[in-house]
Amino acid sequence: MFRLILKMAWKNSFARPSRTLLLVVMIAVSMSMMLGIQGLYDGMAMNMADKNKRSDSGDISIFAKDYRINRDISYRIKNADEIRGELNNTPEVEAVVLRVSADGLASTARKSSFAQIRGIDLQEEENFGAFSEFLKQGKMEFGKRGAIVGIELAKTLKLKVGSKVVFSTQDSNGEINSMALKVDAIVQTTNIVLDTSAIYIDLEKLRTFLGLMSHEATQIVIKTENIKLYERLKSRYSSLDVKSFFELQPMMKMMEEMMVIFNSITFFIVMSVVFVGIFGVMYVSVLDRIREFGIMLSIGMQYKYIRLQIFLEAIVVGLLGFLSGAVLGLFLLIYLKDYGLDFSAFADALEMWGYETIIHGTIKLSYFTTTFLAIMSASVLSVLIPLRKIKKLNPIEVIKADK
Amino acid sequence: MFSLALKNILFYKGRSITTFVLTFLSTILFVVYVSMMDGSHKSMLENTLKIYTGAIEIYHKDYRDIGGNEYLIQDVKTITDKLLHVEGIEAFTARYETYGLLSSAENSAASMVAGIEPDKEKAISSISLALKEGAFLSDDSGSCLYMGEGLVQKLKLKLGGEVAFVGGASDNSFAADIFKVCGIFKTGSFEFDLSTSFVSRSYFDKLMLSQNKASYITVKVDNLEHVDTINKKIVQTLDSEKLESLTWKTLMKTMVEAMEVDSIFGYISLSLFLIVIFFVIMIYGFINVSSRIKEFGVLRCIGLCNSNIFSLLFYEIFILSTLAILLATPIAGTICYYYSLNPIVIEGIAEMYKDYGIVSDEIPFDFDIFTITWNLAVIYGLNFLSILYPYVYINSFRPIEATKHV
Repeated sequence: MFRLILKMAWKNSFARPSRTLLLVVMIAVSMSMMLGIQGLYDGMAMNMADKNKRSDSGDISIFAKDYRINRDISYRIKNADEIRGELNNTPEVEAVVLRVSADGLASTARKSSFAQIRGIDLQEEENFGAFSEFLKQGKMEFGKRGAIVGIELAKTLKLKVGSKVVFSTQDSNGEINSMALKVDAIVQTTNIVLDTSAIYIDLEKLRTFLGLMSHEATQIVIKTENIKLYERLKSRYSSLDVKSFFELQPMMKMMEEMMVIFNSITFFIVMSVVFVGIFGVMYVSVLDRIREFGIMLSIGMQYKYIRLQIFLEAIVVGLLGFLSGAVLGLFLLIYLKDYGLDFSAFADALEMWGYETIIHGTIKLSYFTTTFLAIMSASVLSVLIPLRKIKKLNPIEVIKADK
Repeated sequence: MFSLALKNILFYKGRSITTFVLTFLSTILFVVYVSMMDGSHKSMLENTLKIYTGAIEIYHKDYRDIGGNEYLIQDVKTITDKLLHVEGIEAFTARYETYGLLSSAENSAASMVAGIEPDKEKAISSISLALKEGAFLSDDSGSCLYMGEGLVQKLKLKLGGEVAFVGGASDNSFAADIFKVCGIFKTGSFEFDLSTSFVSRSYFDKLMLSQNKASYITVKVDNLEHVDTINKKIVQTLDSEKLESLTWKTLMKTMVEAMEVDSIFGYISLSLFLIVIFFVIMIYGFINVSSRIKEFGVLRCIGLCNSNIFSLLFYEIFILSTLAILLATPIAGTICYYYSLNPIVIEGIAEMYKDYGIVSDEIPFDFDIFTITWNLAVIYGLNFLSILYPYVYINSFRPIEATKHV
């Protein structure tokens, strides 16, 4: 019996092929567009978060107490090397790097700007967050007096690879010191603060310049997948300021939350409208065949089989729409993931806001599963009112009625 | 045809109500969404313009691209005398900006120190209004500094505190002096408050040897919408190949571009809703038409041509769209107008997005008749497009064939 009903449902789904096709196209287009937009926005946020972690805050960062408020190297971690040793022996920790930072003035012969000098170990940064992937121009190495400069700072100071720049700041003894640097490379981390202000030099050179000991640092950055580690480190290093990624980058958290809210609202509105579309087609489809259902009831077919047939019809249409949308959406997502959307015409603006000029999307299985559930629910719900109409039918009257 | 269309609308209630409701909702969504997007962008630009950047700024050529003391404006007096005769200029002032290190007893920080003409500055920017503690500068303020709150905190200073300045003078020699913090300001722009301080030009010019020189001359216009025309007049009046006069559109090109990108993403999101709604309206139109094939067959048999059929469908969608838009427009317009006067406030958003130049928690809407009009035109356009496929579908039947259609 089920096979017969399934066969009837399949045939009836295509009784009006134009109508069914229109519905399938509507579901497919709206679904694929929705998937594309979700993937693009998620991709943007994930890309930003990933690069922020790799270039700056890691999954967890440790500072000396009050360093983040005062941004002063007198608030530095005195036993940073020892802590790094301990962290390296912690199984959940994937990588650790030490950094030293100081704010100051960067000047060329013609221009000046505020800058933040950051002492890094290139090899360690490479292992930690593939720092070389941020390279835009030049070579990722520190030559004699070599420095790597953030892309926006380079624009402000009109720096190129090979340009000279003088950085002045206060050292650990309170004296104003300056150092002449030569630009070896220009990087774009998409971290807005770093891109507009960072000058990277060798960690040891910066320590010497600032009068710091070789075991000191202003920031210890940790890479880990284990979210519970944060609480443990917080209690283990209670005299220090242990911060998670989202504590350091509240904007990212807000962005992520806003993305979830936006996607949910979009999803809800689109699915509601899709529901209206399916409802219209199914309702008319049932009304068109009201005599047919009357005859079926009068020759003894039970209502439950008619109900099953209509449910199956709705599911067939919904499923076809979903499959078409999934294929179309998957192609769109793959394209966005591999090639992205090219916004080179707005390069300055995007770089200023910490985005790449080509924005890549991402693909998540959840896009397809949630859409599947929503479309199937919309399809099934859309036939409830037409079914009520059939249930109330008086078969004889319907058969007699002129269509 | 019009009265027939009206009768059809009343007869096919299901289709009429759905089309009406969807058009109504999409109109409100579209108008309000675009108004919010434009409003927040305009507010960001206006806030930035209000704080410090002028509507028009006059530079020596290459000052912005290359920089350096040789590209300072050398004869400010001659230029400002000419500006007095340009119609549309409300006020102007010459600024001398330099970067240097400021050191307090406890800390040092890099700062942009700008020599300003206090009285003229009051008429041009909102720096004087951003006063938080102490007093704004005057022509005889001497070595008084008017410093951003963030910078004051960074240098661990208080009102009356002393700070040493080291920088390069306009003749490339070293310049150093001791300044006193007489006023503290907070504009809300994180970067600006953290890095900027002002001195009265009458004092600063002596230290920097910058009398009659300027980094640029900033101009306030009486109507921002006429900025391009006024700028043309300035260029004509100055008539100098050595100078360039730029409007805020060039000065803030990056920000304008950023707004455009944001708008593109906004329209991408919005297009999803509009396309889905367009499809549903088309589906309902199609269902309606496909149930009236017989009727259309009869109409064509009695002499109606294809264009009459198109007119019928056009009038149906026109009436429904117009009714929905007529109802939606005042509602959407009122929402836009209300929130343009009473912006939505999201506490903490300025702090959260401070690196992006957001200086206010307020999100005002933009109430612009032209924008609302083109938004409505788009909705109309989409609704009219939705009848094309049903029209093509009807025309695929020959009249006799249509009359026999079941």
